[in-house]
This record gives sequence, structure tokens and C-alpha cells, in this order.
Amino acid sequence: MNCDECKNLISVFLDSELEEPAAAAVRVHLAICSDCARICEDFASILDVATEGPSDVLPPNSQALWCRINNIIENDIKPGKATPPPEPQAGRFWRFSFGQLAAAVLCIAMVSSLATIVAVRSYFPPEPAEFAVRSAADRTLLDKVLGRLGLAETPQQIRERRLKQHQEAIDYWNARVQTRRMKWDDMTRDAFDRNLRVIDQSVSEFSMILQRNPDDDLSGEMLDSVLDDKMKLLRDFADL
Amino acid sequence: MTFKSIIGYRLIGHAKTTILLSVVFFFAAFVQDTSAQRKFSRTYPAGQDVRLNLMNRTGTVEVEGWNRREINIVATMEAPTAIIEPKSTLDLIEINMVRDNQGRDVGNVNFKVRVPYNTVVDIETRIGNLSVTSVRSGLVRAYISSEGDITLTNIVAANVSAENRLGDIFFDGQISEKGLYRFSSMSGRIALRIPFASSFRLVATAPSTRSISLGSFSNGDTNFVGDGRRVLGKFGTGSASVTVTNKLGTIAFFGR
Repeated sequence: MNCDECKNLISVFLDSELEEPAAAAVRVHLAICSDCARICEDFASILDVATEGPSDVLPPNSQALWCRINNIIENDIKPGKATPPPEPQAGRFWRFSFGQLAAAVLCIAMVSSLATIVAVRSYFPPEPAEFAVRSAADRTLLDKVLGRLGLAETPQQIRERRLKQHQEAIDYWNARVQTRRMKWDDMTRDAFDRNLRVIDQSVSEFSMILQRNPDDDLSGEMLDSVLDDKMKLLRDFADL
Repeated sequence: MTFKSIIGYRLIGHAKTTILLSVVFFFAAFVQDTSAQRKFSRTYPAGQDVRLNLMNRTGTVEVEGWNRREINIVATMEAPTAIIEPKSTLDLIEINMVRDNQGRDVGNVNFKVRVPYNTVVDIETRIGNLSVTSVRSGLVRAYISSEGDITLTNIVAANVSAENRLGDIFFDGQISEKGLYRFSSMSGRIALRIPFASSFRLVATAPSTRSISLGSFSNGDTNFVGDGRRVLGKFGTGSASVTVTNKLGTIAFFGR
């Protein structure tokens, strides 16, 4: 028996499935050939480990492992076809797709809209009737913050603006009244002058209170209302 | 005939003549005054939901509800040149004395208007008194540009507005649920007579006199603010809103 024949029969020999004459021939050859004897020992030790070793030594998914091994071997065999790893591109982090940009813009719009709605809802102007009940101390935090930032008017600024508007309207209607009053009868002239005197008296009264106490919102409201009365009186009589 | 008797006879004759002439002049003046006044009287059919818009120049306006589906307008004019041209449909009667008599001295025109109970009443005048009686509708508005009293009696309306400059305002009526009631004057007296069980939120302001008498409503949930110049109150469920402002005058409530 030569070495090749012996190597082919080693596996069957170790499984004790070889017939006695052939097995005797293998034993003779292993006794005289050290190479085949070493191979036989290797095979025998592998068989021992396989039959005696615990099952957890085996990989959990041997088939997948073999696939990976196979891939590695194939890559090693064909090094020319391997694709080089991609190089990192400069500024990649800041590059977004159109969808991502659109989503981001939508998100910002929604958040800002919600913030605006919340701000507007929490900042509602007081009703005229409630206006005087509120004082500077009753202003909301948002009022104060917006006032300091110059984004919202303070009560005094609102009052001054309204007074200015009233005065402009009063000047306009007063000019028209002056052109018409010559046509009025005495009774109409007297009634108009009497009413105007009382209104002017009220204007001066509330103005004086506000000079002493600029935070007196009730007097501010009344002054606003009296000037409105004056404007209405002038407007109504300008038609006569 | 003595001198004395002659003198006496002549004096008696002069006295008779003077008396006779006085009587003649008196009747002549009376007849002339009567003929100078002109009367306007018309009656219009009214639909189910009718509205009266009346803007007077100077003079009084009295509106009274009645149980007929028609509107009767009677106007007495001081000057015969005054023009009254009502515009009427089944749903609206509109009289605008300011527009129709612009730039003309027409003197006082006094209106007396009778309307179906459920008429929406919106009346105005520049000078003169306004009164509305026995109206049950969605709105009663009375506005005087300058001076005159406003009297609203037996009113059942969800929206009531009365405003003048110099003069009194008197309201006697009901406060409807979720109704809006606004009374505003520069001076004079505002008096409101409403049922004791009325349900409303109140803002009453009399900054100059601080005279706000709540009468039988003083036991409600009230709060005086602004050094007593304003009263905030809630009565019952507070579904209606009553705002009363009298800048130089007083405010008084009466329960009924």
C-alpha cells in the first residue's frame, strides 16, 4: 500500500468501517510511514473533539459562518475586483435631500405658528369695560416683555396715540362745524355751545387727574370716552 | 254836557277801541300760529319683522308699541318748510330729517310713532327728548347727540342702547338672557328699574360723583374699584351684560 491509498482509507479506517484485510494493510503502512501516521493522528484527534466537545463550541449559525468564510476566500482569490472603501466627502454632514429640507422648513413653520398662536391667545387686549380695572401691575408678563422690547405699546403710549387720533378727528370736524354754525338757529347754537362747554370741562378734569397720576387707567378711559363724545357732537352738528 | 262828561265819554270810547283791537290782534296771532304748524300723518303696513329707523334734527320722538301690523307716524312741524319723506317697505320704515332737510332751518319736528310690539326701534335726534314704550324686540336704540332725556319703559329687548350728553336716562324693562345693555351719559341721572331676579354682569362707572346706588342689588356679588368710581358686579348667572357710564352724573338701580 502506498501513501495515497492509505490517505484515502484513513477516514474509513478511523470509523472502523474498513474490512479487516484492508484495515490490516493500513495498519502496516502507518507503522512504516510517519507522514501518514501523523495525518491519521490529526484525523483521530479531530474526531475526538467532534465527538466529545460541547455543543456550544459550535457557531450559532454555521451555515452563515461558512458563507462569510467563503466570501473572504473569494475576495482573496480575486483582489482586483474588490471595491475600495469610499472616501469621506467634505461637508457631507450639511448636505440634505430636498425632502429633508422641506420637512425641516415645515417643522419650523409649524413651531413658529404654534408659538404665535399661544402668544396671541395669551395676549388679548382688554375690553373697554375691563380697561380701567386693569392697572400697570395687572399687565401680563408677555405685555411687560413686549413693552420692554418695544414690540408692544405701554398703556400710556396707547393713550397718547388715541388722544392724538381723537384730536385730529376733532380738528377736522370742528373746522366743518365753524363753516356751518352761521346757518343754525339760536336754539341749536346755544345747545351746541352748552354741550361743548360741559365736554371741555370733563376733558380738563380727567386730564388734571392724569397729570397727577398717569397710571390711573380709569381716568384715561374716561378721557378717551369724553373725547369720543366731543368728536361725535362735532360730527353730528356738522351735518346740520 | 259838561267838560268832565265829555272827557269821560272819550276815555271810555278809547278803552273800548283798545280792548276790541287787542282781541282782534290776539285771535289773528293765534290763527296765524295755528296755520304755521303743519301736521304730517301717515300709516304704513308692517311685515312680521319690521324696523323703524328715525333720525330727527331737533324735537321729540315718541315711539309706542301697539297691537296692529301697521306703523302710524304723526309729526308736528314748527316750520311748514320741513320735509318729511319716509322710505318704507314691509320690513323697514326710514325717516331721516337731517338728510332730507340739510342746510335748512326747519325748527322743531315732534314725532309720535306707533309700531307693532316686536319692532326693532332705532331712533336719534340732535336735540330733544326720546321715548320708547311697550316694545318687545331684538333691539331698542335711542341716541341724542346733545341734550335731551331718554325714557324707555316696558321694554323687553335683547339689545338696548341709550346715549345722550346732557339729560336723564330712565330704563324700565327686563334684562334678557345673554342680552347687551348699554347706557351712557355725560351728566344728569341714569336710573334703571329692572326685575330683582335679573341675571347680569354689571360695570357701572360714575367717576366724577362716585354716586352709584345699587338699591336692592347691593346684596349681590359686587366690587367697588378705582376708589369707588366704578362698580363691578355679578347677579345670578351673569349671562347678560349691563354697562352704565355717567361721567359727571349719578347712577341708580331700582328692583321691581
